[in-house]
Amino acid sequence: MEAIKAKNIYFSYNTKDVIKNVSFSLEQEEFLGIIGPNGAGKSTILRILCGILRPKTGDIFIFNKDINDIDKKTLAQKIAFVPQETHFALNFPVKDIVLMGRFPYLRAFQREGRKDLEATKHALAYAQVVEFRKRPINSLSSGERQRVVLARALAQEPEILILDEPTSHLDLHHQYAIMELLKKLNTEGMSIIIVNHDLNLASLYCQRLVLMHKGCIFSKGTPQSLINEKTLNDVYKTEVKIIKHPYKNVPQIFFHPKGE
Amino acid sequence: MFKKLRWLRKIHISCAIFVIYTIFSNCYCDKPSVKPGFKIVSISPAMTEILFAVSAGNDIVGVTTFCNYPEAAKKIYKIGDFSNPSVERIVGLKPDIVIVNLPEQMRIKKQLEKLGITFFVSSPKSLNDIYKEIADIGKIVKKERGADSLIHYMKMNIGPSEHKRKKSVYIELSPRPLVTIGAHSFLNEMLEMAGGKNVFSDLNKDYPVISQEEVIKRNPEIIILLHPGNITDRLAWKKIAAIKKDKVYTNLNQDHILRPGPRLVEGFKELQRIIRE
Amino acid sequence: MNKFVPVILIFLLAIFVSIMVGPAQLTSEIIQLRLSRVILGIFAGGILAFCGGVLQGLFGNPLVEPYTLGSASGAALGGSIGILLFGTISPLFAFFGSLGVGFFVFTVARIEGGLLRDRLILAGVVMSFLCSSLVMIIMVMGGRELYEILYLLMGYLGIIINAENRLFIILMIVLSAVLMLFLYRYHRELDIISQGLETAAGLGIDIQKFSVIIFLITSLLIGLTVSLVGAIGFVGLVIPHISKLLFGPKHLYNLPASFILGATFLLLADTVSRIITVYELPVGVVTSLIGVPFFIYLYRK
Repeated sequence: MEAIKAKNIYFSYNTKDVIKNVSFSLEQEEFLGIIGPNGAGKSTILRILCGILRPKTGDIFIFNKDINDIDKKTLAQKIAFVPQETHFALNFPVKDIVLMGRFPYLRAFQREGRKDLEATKHALAYAQVVEFRKRPINSLSSGERQRVVLARALAQEPEILILDEPTSHLDLHHQYAIMELLKKLNTEGMSIIIVNHDLNLASLYCQRLVLMHKGCIFSKGTPQSLINEKTLNDVYKTEVKIIKHPYKNVPQIFFHPKGE
Repeated sequence: MFKKLRWLRKIHISCAIFVIYTIFSNCYCDKPSVKPGFKIVSISPAMTEILFAVSAGNDIVGVTTFCNYPEAAKKIYKIGDFSNPSVERIVGLKPDIVIVNLPEQMRIKKQLEKLGITFFVSSPKSLNDIYKEIADIGKIVKKERGADSLIHYMKMNIGPSEHKRKKSVYIELSPRPLVTIGAHSFLNEMLEMAGGKNVFSDLNKDYPVISQEEVIKRNPEIIILLHPGNITDRLAWKKIAAIKKDKVYTNLNQDHILRPGPRLVEGFKELQRIIRE
Repeated sequence: MNKFVPVILIFLLAIFVSIMVGPAQLTSEIIQLRLSRVILGIFAGGILAFCGGVLQGLFGNPLVEPYTLGSASGAALGGSIGILLFGTISPLFAFFGSLGVGFFVFTVARIEGGLLRDRLILAGVVMSFLCSSLVMIIMVMGGRELYEILYLLMGYLGIIINAENRLFIILMIVLSAVLMLFLYRYHRELDIISQGLETAAGLGIDIQKFSVIIFLITSLLIGLTVSLVGAIGFVGLVIPHISKLLFGPKHLYNLPASFILGATFLLLADTVSRIITVYELPVGVVTSLIGVPFFIYLYRK
């Protein structure tokens, strides 16, 4: 049984087709990366998969159940979404923000119970933001904020985690920390889809990649089979040099400055 | 011979044109009729009544849609309503004098000043103001005798009457918010003369907005409503003397009371009747 | 929340002061009159501040106030039309004017399958302008009734309570209690929506449905309030900010606090307006006059 199965998805903003006939699936406990140039439709497909946008046509199944038959709160108990960047209009303390991840489990006027507080505590620890828990969110750096958002997603206790470029705007250390955290979650059984512009990171951490181009799927496969100089030149119109990672058997990309 | 005939034909044609012109200009009712002599435009319904009363009604070439008395005033060319007259229409009439009301027509007054049109300001705050304005306008329209007799008639009929005790009166112009009359109003003076005492005569305004609490506190013996409405069902008003004794009057003719013109005489008589009752 | 204790104490004090202070001697009639005024003040101030808080939360925009969506100018237009036709302001006309404009804004902002939040604000602002100019036309055409529209625009609590609007007041109190409780159910959604629509949708909130519910209920509440006491300004815009300053961003706490603070503030403003002059002053004037310096002081602190 696949965690997510998307069949023949079409989507358009106004009249412009952004997603054209996209089909793919996420196996359980898989770490899947979606890559592709800007405007390829990566972020859009993510939002369709977690129910934020509705596809024009096509079917999505979450654990073999049609997404339209799943109540929105129930869906949020299964899938958590981490947006690329969150703007915090109100300056909540970190622990309140993480506690909001329990929303799908709570009815109106129901107070957060012990289970909710425990899940929150667990999520705070997992995302390594315990030390900030009393600080207002807007006093944190963007790397710390991103980890808080991740903690909120973990407090949802989802089975599938969907992340939109979680490492953009982050420095080397924070990029590494987030990716390692995701890897750890994955080994503990979480199915993950990540959109990433950093092909080297995607290649290092993802088990399988989906390369999107102009709203279609260009190719699918393991990093080793998918990342090669010809494909990248076709899709990104960029000449690159590819060598193998020194410790892992995955391709890594190097730029090739002109005239050298 | 022929020459003479052609000359005659010219006269014929011009006569025909003139006839057609007069017919058309008369048919087109909205066009002001051209009158010889002194021309008055009155944007004040009270002044319209006064002008008719001093027999200068024939000199009026323009009035407002509010000028509904006497009957003849309704047939005069309309230059707009009381608060929004059309300056263009006024100018088109080429009046010798325009009568404006202040403070409501401040804007018009300023425009007339700019255009160099003579105007007469009517803004009476007391009965004496009204008499003075009648005398002044009488001079301007050269109807001094008419003005004198009108003033005489009004003074004869509106005068202090003997009363042992003055009854307190509350006059309500509008219910939301509560608007009444203050000291600076001819109506305040008329009430006093008719044997009443305006409960808000201590307020130095002409039309103050007041609170319910003040009305209840001042506990008037007579209430006069100058708007369609009911006040007996108002919360907390039931203990007011006027309501307890059923002394609430609603069916007064507003134009007899609020319009500072000759018909104040009728209004005064109505007030006297109410207070004497 | 122990911060609620002083706030409620001040609230009770404000009620006491409004009943005790005034030009006339305390008789049973005067108490009756002031009590009705206090009840109007509590509900008008409370509803405006509460709805302001909800709308600022929904739109994630601190400049949104209850009148942004056009209800106030709609009520003014309805009231003016009432004046034009019957000579006096009837709350019924103001109410339907408010609902009519709300409905129009709603249809403009509606898209296939939902509602556009930004378009809602824009449509509301545009409709406000349209209504204001229509009101101006009526104001210029009418003479003495100018007062009435002015007071409807600025708002005042000293309205006459008679058989006609008694029903309206009871309806407002009962309905607003129920509707505000219903809105309060969504305190968590409002917390979450402050982090953006995608986050909210990702956590299982149906944004479209949610926006429609909030819009309809707040429009109804504000329409009821404005048609009775006029468009009292300032309370709905600033009290939610003060409430957030004192009680934090959590709507669970700051929405009820908004209600109490709004009611307290309006009662005090009304008491001031009653004692400084024998004339009836629009309370909207006083709310801004004493509210703005207070707000600046609080914000700089």
